[in-house]
Amino acid sequence: MSKKQRQRLHIALSVVVTIGVAFFALLPLYWIVLTSLKAPGTEFRLPIRYWPDEISLEPYRTILGPDFNVQRAILNSLIVSTVTTIGALLLASLAAYTIARLRFTYKWSSLLFIQVASMLPPIIVIAPTFLIIRSMGLLGSLPGLIIPNMIYNIPLSTWLIASYFAGLPFELEDAAKVDGSPPLRIFRQIMLPLAAPGLFSAGVIAFLGSWGEFMLAFTISMGLPEAQTIPVAVQGYTMAMQRQWTWVAAAIVLSLAPVIVLVMVFQKWVVQGLTLGSAKY
Amino acid sequence: MKKLELREPTIAVLFLIPAIVGLLLFYYYPIGHTLALSAYDLSHTAELSPERFVGLQNYVEVLQSKQFWSSIRFTLFFTLVAVSLELTLGMMLALSTYWVWGRLTGILRAIIIIPWAIPQIIQASIWRWMYNTDVGLIGDLFVRVGLTDAPPLFLSNPSLARWAVIVAYVWKGASVAAIFLMGGLALVPKELTDAAKVDGARSWRRFWTITVPMIMPTILVTLLFRTMAGLQIFDIIYGLTNGGPGTTTETLSSFSYKYYFKFVQYGRGSAYAVVTFLLVLIASVIYIRRVQPHFRFKGLGS
Repeated sequence: MSKKQRQRLHIALSVVVTIGVAFFALLPLYWIVLTSLKAPGTEFRLPIRYWPDEISLEPYRTILGPDFNVQRAILNSLIVSTVTTIGALLLASLAAYTIARLRFTYKWSSLLFIQVASMLPPIIVIAPTFLIIRSMGLLGSLPGLIIPNMIYNIPLSTWLIASYFAGLPFELEDAAKVDGSPPLRIFRQIMLPLAAPGLFSAGVIAFLGSWGEFMLAFTISMGLPEAQTIPVAVQGYTMAMQRQWTWVAAAIVLSLAPVIVLVMVFQKWVVQGLTLGSAKY
Repeated sequence: MKKLELREPTIAVLFLIPAIVGLLLFYYYPIGHTLALSAYDLSHTAELSPERFVGLQNYVEVLQSKQFWSSIRFTLFFTLVAVSLELTLGMMLALSTYWVWGRLTGILRAIIIIPWAIPQIIQASIWRWMYNTDVGLIGDLFVRVGLTDAPPLFLSNPSLARWAVIVAYVWKGASVAAIFLMGGLALVPKELTDAAKVDGARSWRRFWTITVPMIMPTILVTLLFRTMAGLQIFDIIYGLTNGGPGTTTETLSSFSYKYYFKFVQYGRGSAYAVVTFLLVLIASVIYIRRVQPHFRFKGLGS
């Protein structure tokens, strides 16, 4: 085989591999989008069809109609994820700055204290968390969901941001200290902007994580539409409407559209964040 | 005007307090509370009054129940099978992004990352529809390929339901593993991955003798993260089978949740939760000891 032939073969095989991976990775999504575009009732028609015969937007019209609260749930999810992300970044960046840059005795134990938390399974904390939120009178409300979620995102966010802080030269702060700038200003005006890539990675991951979080959201929402996030609502529709899969499928597609767009746009940051997160040890 | 002088340790404490308090309140205190709950006989109450104290009795009852042993067996089986599949498929996916023709790398990476972004509970809904007995995609594919005459009852046949859950879970898990492993492979010198393209048989040996040892830290961490995720599995069970048929796909977490919020038995639920916690703890200790030689916090400074 000549070099050129080998190269052609490599390209051909590459295309085959890519199509194969796409088939397995995207099949479930294709199937749910296809279902969401069928006229309600026709999803149970046999034999099953792999291509759309005719496209119907009826499922979307119904699921976005007055009988369901998809818009409300998506809005709730946006609020929960946004506030969670901002809060987690704030708390985590302060902690990260301290651990990566300041000199104090309990550096190692603080780091351990923060990172061990990320290894705890949610089931070990869910019942007391429910009881705490109940005693705060926040069951069935968005703040009741946001506060714990914010804390859950601290360990990984701290890690990601600290890795960025750790890479910055120490002269930066020293110069500012000589000028007599107060510590909070050094942190906010000099250090934080330089750790922006870390903040960004941590932010995207925290946003996506809280968007898909289920156990806590389900428990705290108490079935109230005003506190339900979109995954909780979709799970509810799935259970309640086993004979109306076009509607459920439309709700699923709507719940996924924002995260898929986000991941595609910020792919680089997500991968960077996850890679750094896995480089913990 | 005299400036308030703060020394560095003081600033450190002030900056750390918010995160530490949050973690104490929503991680460390709840663990203690769960441990306490597990020592009480609590039916439809969470009040720890002295006369309800039963010591280890919840654990004794849990350990004597058949449910517990079937759920721990399934949790372990699930984790073992899922993690092996995730690692194998994840490695194949990660390697493929390095192997393919340069112009396809970006597209392939984008495709691989998508399942990671799908929330597990939504994934459960999607797969529930794919496993539908009458018009499910998977059943139809089985019949078309000639594996079975009629679509199998994926979610109501006990032995099939176990595998159905695993397959749905691995669909996303393999993508997560692949993302981690891609990060590890990025550290391997390009000559090695490039050379692997040229000679078929020798590249296989090179993979095992050079690439694998080089990315061993990443492999071990991926194993650790995926094992921990497997041991605490909840969302996909809840959404796809809710533990059924019967209790065949019930895991420690899903049982615990049921005891908490369906039967409102905090004592029993906590006992299940504590066992889950212990399993995760044992797994992480074993792994971390293996990973110890590579243990470092890059750039913590002097």
